[in-house]
Amino acid sequence: MEIHGLAHAAQLPTPPPDALDDEDMIISEPADVVAVANAEPPPKAVEDCHKVKILGMGTFSEVWLVSPKREQKPETLYALKQLRKADVIRLKQVEHVQNEKSILELCRHHPFITTIFESWQDRSSLYILLEYAPGGEMFGYLRRAQRFDYPVAQFYAAELTLVLVFLHNHGVVYRDLKPENIMIDARGHVKLVDFGFAKVVGDRETYTLCGTPEYLSPEVIQSKGHSKAVDWWALGVLIYEMVLGYPPFYAESPMGIYKKIVDARITFPTWLPPNIRDIVQRLCTKDLSARLGNMKGGGFEVMQHPFFNGIDWRELESQKHKGPLIPQLRFPGDTQYFENYEPQELSADSTYPDSMLAEHDHLFRNF
Amino acid sequence: MSLPALYLEEIDALSRKISQAQPIDILQFCANHFHGRLEAERNQHLASQSSTSLSSMVNPFAMASDTFPGTFGGFGGGPFDGSRDAIREEEEELHSPTAPTFKPQFSMGGMGGRPGSSGSGRRTHSPSGGGGGGPRRPMHVAGSPFLSPSGGSHLGPPSAGQDFPSNYNRNRRTSVSAESLVPTTSDDEWSPPIHPKTSDQMNRLRAAVSNNFLFAHLDEEQDSQVLHALVEKPIPNKGMRVITQGDVGDYFYVVEKGDFDIYVNSAGRMMPGPDGMGKRVTSIGPGGSFGELALMYNAPRAATVISTSSDNILWALDRVTFRRILMENTFKRRRMYEAFLEEIPLLSSLITSERSKIADALDTETFEAGAIIIREGDPGDRFYFIEQGVAEVHKSSQPGGYVRTLNKGDYFGELALLNDAPRAATIVAKSKVKVAYLGKAGFQRLLGPVADIMRRNDPRLGEGVDPLAGPGGFDGSIDVMQGPFGMGRPVEV
Ligand SMILES: Nc1ncnc2c1ncn2[C@@H]1O[C@H](COP(=O)(O)OP(=O)(O)OP(=O)(O)O)[C@@H](O)[C@H]1O
Ligand SMILES: [Mg+2]
Repeated sequence: MEIHGLAHAAQLPTPPPDALDDEDMIISEPADVVAVANAEPPPKAVEDCHKVKILGMGTFSEVWLVSPKREQKPETLYALKQLRKADVIRLKQVEHVQNEKSILELCRHHPFITTIFESWQDRSSLYILLEYAPGGEMFGYLRRAQRFDYPVAQFYAAELTLVLVFLHNHGVVYRDLKPENIMIDARGHVKLVDFGFAKVVGDRETYTLCGTPEYLSPEVIQSKGHSKAVDWWALGVLIYEMVLGYPPFYAESPMGIYKKIVDARITFPTWLPPNIRDIVQRLCTKDLSARLGNMKGGGFEVMQHPFFNGIDWRELESQKHKGPLIPQLRFPGDTQYFENYEPQELSADSTYPDSMLAEHDHLFRNF
Repeated sequence: MSLPALYLEEIDALSRKISQAQPIDILQFCANHFHGRLEAERNQHLASQSSTSLSSMVNPFAMASDTFPGTFGGFGGGPFDGSRDAIREEEEELHSPTAPTFKPQFSMGGMGGRPGSSGSGRRTHSPSGGGGGGPRRPMHVAGSPFLSPSGGSHLGPPSAGQDFPSNYNRNRRTSVSAESLVPTTSDDEWSPPIHPKTSDQMNRLRAAVSNNFLFAHLDEEQDSQVLHALVEKPIPNKGMRVITQGDVGDYFYVVEKGDFDIYVNSAGRMMPGPDGMGKRVTSIGPGGSFGELALMYNAPRAATVISTSSDNILWALDRVTFRRILMENTFKRRRMYEAFLEEIPLLSSLITSERSKIADALDTETFEAGAIIIREGDPGDRFYFIEQGVAEVHKSSQPGGYVRTLNKGDYFGELALLNDAPRAATIVAKSKVKVAYLGKAGFQRLLGPVADIMRRNDPRLGEGVDPLAGPGGFDGSIDVMQGPFGMGRPVEV
């Protein structure tokens, strides 16, 4: 394997989209929907944005598809993540939100991470303006297909491995890998979103329990202090879920899930190819001295696993080819790959009274 | 309360089928039966709508057949066959009425609100419903709504869909998070709260939490701090609600005295009205506990708990205190490990990140006074630190056996990292001893062979100074006598 191919992954320049794929690009492909994102400077205030539709909803955030007002054709589209300050404070997520912004800035222009264009705040909300990934979440494709074929799962796992290697090289742990946070772009490549739990940890351990129940690692559940190794565990869970359609540890109740995770026993159907079984077992290893990705070779060892046989890492990283599933967009703002969300009534908890502002707003000074 | 007629009909039908089939696995049989029923009913329902919606639908999930060249070892047959899959996808739409889809007309609930938080769409496939149903292995459900759309070109065997677990909830999952906590840097900034208890109470509490896996791996110090932090909470009357289903929860409770009933409303939260608490699922008495999820993060309560006797006493523990105790202890211990590691001449060339990797992977073990930790002549494959307690070194070649005493921070057996020579001494615990250890294999997986690490950049190696004869270490000299390295001098390998 070419090690230098990976060293390159550490500072990957974004290839100009039109330089790619000359031969197998379909003219009407709406790939250029995102390509024109630098035609005009991106908006810097919510008043400059036309809110088209809600793309996603989190515990204290909404993500909107927006287009800048005063925009000529062709239309530029962005995803605008709006976080309500009151909820951020109430749920004690101030630090996470700061991390989200600063790490997105660190990762600007990585091809498999949504680019941050702007961030700002107004009286009651924080905003992050992101590159829009029109293909929706991997989650939707996976639930519909039930399972991905080996090559499809292999492709996504490989792109995500490059992302993790990149993040870890920068001392960043991601901590929320799951199909819901993996978007598909116009050419079928992955775009990782939601850096709400990402954190610069360097080589140290960190302690805040966060993530998604089925994807938590044993050391997080047991509050032993955790580090970048949690992302490799989660990659194992993801590969399993991609090829089988359900995660390796599930139960009716969260506590039931956690007991199973701490037991770390995984069952595989007998027909599953040994390479898949093996990589999942190695990634989902409780013993940190034996977990693939956490050992001497780091992410390189993951890349060398036979599960990835046939992957040309350099080609992959240059996005020479399109991905296995291409969204069929009928027009630029086509959001058929996103679920429909009702705009929520602001709950009483989400209002940001003056008293709260006076007490806490300084926390957002650097946002 | 009378049961709905529709329910009685269904149960009658099921009973007839059971008496006909005489199945061995009754539960599985029932699950299959109801899945079949559900599917049939939904199909009927959809069929009445589908003629219009299907024809107007554009399949948004067509595969790209012109892309993704076959760099893959040909597993699972040919490349993506876009057109064929596209048709199957549409069929799948019909046969899979309970799967979440993107088309509102097919959506069976759960969409349009906050993902994951709406009760209606969740657990559609759960055969048991109700809390505590517990884990199940993937089932082989005939007629499962999750039949794979695949033919031979897909990953699994032709009948791949058959081993899809029908009780897995396929909805979008939301993330969870505790309050972010950062360890205090100086020792005296935070000390855990102490609520006095009799030793009887301590013992009862210890027994109550001992089989709870969130407490099972705590070390002694964490354990006692956590128990001391539990605060008494009297519940003087009958009929008082301690926690309410659907509310956010911050406390975990242990019952000291009294009795409590647990109710679950299938709507996911307590509703107004006389039956608002839902069904009584169990009751808890002294020694029982509830609300443990609140120790991990802020999540809606899964049940309502209400007192059924007067003069009850609970012990309560809040999440932030629990997590802080765990974190502060772990943090201190990790820094201690790293400091220990710095003392080992054999590992003096490790950089900080490597030391923290090792510290991350250390395991602990406790020995009672008198126990033998390692035995002379046994094969050695781990190195150890003393984290707590006192131990003695004994050698058979020594008159009287005794060589010296080891205290906190001392280490032994580190030459096991270098070679497979048998242990050159016996280490006996003189008091209760807690050791941290790492095996040779683990060490090598994390950092590679120790010999390489020693060779790296230790200038003393070139000057004939023995790097194994450093201050903290003793058994360098002992182990080394029998090792392949002469008098403790590492050899370039
Ligand atoms: N750049 C983007 N392009 C398109 N859709 C996006 C983008 N960013 C986010 N989304 C959509 O919004 C959803 C929520 O975004 P995100 O995960 O960042 O929010 P969150 O509040 O952290 O969510 P949660 O708490 O559920 O994890 C995503 O899962 C995705 O569907
Ligand atoms: Mg998310």
